[in-house]
Amino acid sequence: MAYVLRRLALAPVSLLLVVLFVFVVLRVSGDPVAIYLGIDATPEQEALLREQLGLDDPLPVQFLHFLADLLRGDFGNSLQFRAPAMAVVGQRLGATLELIAYALSLAVAGGILGGLACAMWNDRLPDLLLTGIAVAGQSMPSFWLGILLIQLFALDLGWLPTSGRGEWEQAVLPTITLATFILPNFVLVTRTAVLETMREQFVTTARARGVGGARALFRHVLPNALNPVISLLGMQIGRLMGGAVVTETVFAWPGVGRLMVSAIFQRDLPVVIAAVFIVAVTIILASLLVDLVQAAIDPRIRMR
Amino acid sequence: MRQALIAFAAALALAAPALAQPRGQLVVGASIFTDSISPAAGGYNTLSLVSQTWEPLVARDSEDNLVPALAERWEALGPTHWRFHLRRNVRWHDGTPFTAEDAKFTLEYVTNPRTVYVRKGRIAGIAAVEIIDSHTLDVRTVAPAPLLLRGLADIAIEQKAVTERLGPVEAARRPIGTGPWRYGELVPGDRYDLTANTDYWGGAPKVERLRIRIIPESSTRVASLLAGETQLIEEVPVDLIPSVRSRRTLAVESIESSVSLVLTMDTRTPPFNDVRVRQAMDFAINKPQILAQMLDGQGSVLDGQLVTRATFGHNPALRPRPFDPARARALLAEAGYPQGFPTTINTQSGRYLSDVDIANAAAGMMRAVGVAASVSVREGGVWARMERSREQGPIYQVGWFSVGDADFSTVWYTQPSGRAYWVNEEYDRLYVAARSTVVESERRAAYHRMMEIMHEEVPSIFLVGLPRVYGRSARLQGWRPARDSLLRLHTAELR
Repeated sequence: MAYVLRRLALAPVSLLLVVLFVFVVLRVSGDPVAIYLGIDATPEQEALLREQLGLDDPLPVQFLHFLADLLRGDFGNSLQFRAPAMAVVGQRLGATLELIAYALSLAVAGGILGGLACAMWNDRLPDLLLTGIAVAGQSMPSFWLGILLIQLFALDLGWLPTSGRGEWEQAVLPTITLATFILPNFVLVTRTAVLETMREQFVTTARARGVGGARALFRHVLPNALNPVISLLGMQIGRLMGGAVVTETVFAWPGVGRLMVSAIFQRDLPVVIAAVFIVAVTIILASLLVDLVQAAIDPRIRMR
Repeated sequence: MRQALIAFAAALALAAPALAQPRGQLVVGASIFTDSISPAAGGYNTLSLVSQTWEPLVARDSEDNLVPALAERWEALGPTHWRFHLRRNVRWHDGTPFTAEDAKFTLEYVTNPRTVYVRKGRIAGIAAVEIIDSHTLDVRTVAPAPLLLRGLADIAIEQKAVTERLGPVEAARRPIGTGPWRYGELVPGDRYDLTANTDYWGGAPKVERLRIRIIPESSTRVASLLAGETQLIEEVPVDLIPSVRSRRTLAVESIESSVSLVLTMDTRTPPFNDVRVRQAMDFAINKPQILAQMLDGQGSVLDGQLVTRATFGHNPALRPRPFDPARARALLAEAGYPQGFPTTINTQSGRYLSDVDIANAAAGMMRAVGVAASVSVREGGVWARMERSREQGPIYQVGWFSVGDADFSTVWYTQPSGRAYWVNEEYDRLYVAARSTVVESERRAAYHRMMEIMHEEVPSIFLVGLPRVYGRSARLQGWRPARDSLLRLHTAELR
């Protein structure tokens, strides 16, 4: 528990560093006013907009203002949308969380089942086949896979729509694409963990007692092999946010990943910071949750 | 047989009124749209969304000609005095009648120095707006303003009462316009839904519902058209044109835009301060080949000048310099660079159709005459910064658009624009002269001479007039691509 608290206490520090980094990089590498007004801008218009947005102060002063607002929970107004940045991000967050939840469920369920199958038929055809597919899946770029799935399921077979969000059918292909991005890890980790647990003495004891193969696997092996899988879950959420950017672009999914990319191009700092903030908080909360779940199911962790 | 005919005629008679009603849904796959639909912000892609609900006084048609919109006619009462006769019986989507008050309010709010409005420069120089009667408006300009009408085409007229009550930012969130489509719902990053304005003064749209979807990835956009989810898509990438063209149920439509893609050289320092070197570069580039290979032959090779053929001010006497590597080498040697020199072409990626491919092709052609050119791709924000500081490298690739009048693109080569490397006093003088008279022949003569000067001086290598390439379903009729890329859909119908 002390460990959890220590991590929570450190979270604001990492958040602050992230904010500083994003602020400096975006401000130094481009001028939001120039981008917003485009080539037609007159110096008067630029000055006026700079003044309205508080961009006429020196950079450090701007950062302090920005930070002070941030501490009050005010992320500022989006330049592109002329609306509070957090509201803009909030509008798009649902779509991303939805996609990530689907993809994660599919990856975990598929990964555990696949890993179990691999372990049960260790070094035999199903294992070799599934491990092979997993390695192939891991090395497949999401972008390319997405286009391929569209070609097959939307164009050749005509079963599913190509893109967009609204109907459940539209979520299928993005979910598969995003899940494929992380599913192989779950297969490989589950496989290793199950194989290792199978060699533990308590499993041998159970088998010696006459517990059947399937019952031993689900009752004794799997619960004890889950821990590394759950750790992996915590780590994969961050990767999923990254993968979401590509998936959202390919499938025209109106999520926060695409928003963040366009906000970076527009140097729409408040939106970038708000999005980064939300993403960071999501990842911190998720890993915290993972720690708590692990502690709950594994007494050895609670003891630490 | 006769009975069948009668039944058929009866059926037709019954069907006729039903046909007049708008029916069905048209789904458009857009390549980009900014999530804001405010007329005050954004580039031309925003204007395309804005123009579904809102209208200007004077509009452009798909060929960049000026046509009446909320003003049904206009006249010049003097060089600095315009009178606009506004259309009667036009109603806002909330039922309120449109009057001269609304037009006056919008023009004054846009030109107010305290307003940030991206395209306000288009109508700079308005001195006063007076209401003569409920549907007559006088506009006085500080100086003769030949470009006022063209400029007005980019200014959406807003409803005075609504914009005053809600403020311009709020009013732009749920537009109440006079245009062919009524606002339905805007889902940021996903789609813009609109419904037919059956009271539209220009005739009710033939389709009941319009959905503009944003599909940023081009292959997905094409897939959506192939799958029948969209009936019209913007920006078909060149490598996917054949896959659209080969289907009987689909068609590729393209039009030359008024965007001229050019390679601008830094004439302030060697080697490009020598006009012979610049001419050599021009001889070295095989423009027809670029057009054929990188743009599928769509669009056109520029006539050795900045503007496209359809633009006012185009000089028909000029021809592009032929592709002549031997002459390029000779000129380089004459200028003291027999071994060539290293140089860089800066470009953005995805800003213009095939932009990086074209830059790479040009670099390859330069290498063939001994100039070791490489291509450097710059991100948009970095680009904007380089543009402001006038440090865009020895060569940079840019598309200048004219929306039909040479004034809009020639400005970037003048000193007051603060964007040009190249200096030419006669050119600058002519530019001012051309925008200070309302006599068309004088304006045309000035632009012709300006094009000639640029042709000789080669501040830029004039490559191609970029095409706009659309894919459409064969069911979609009554729509055509526009040079200015705005979607004009009120006459479109689905068969």
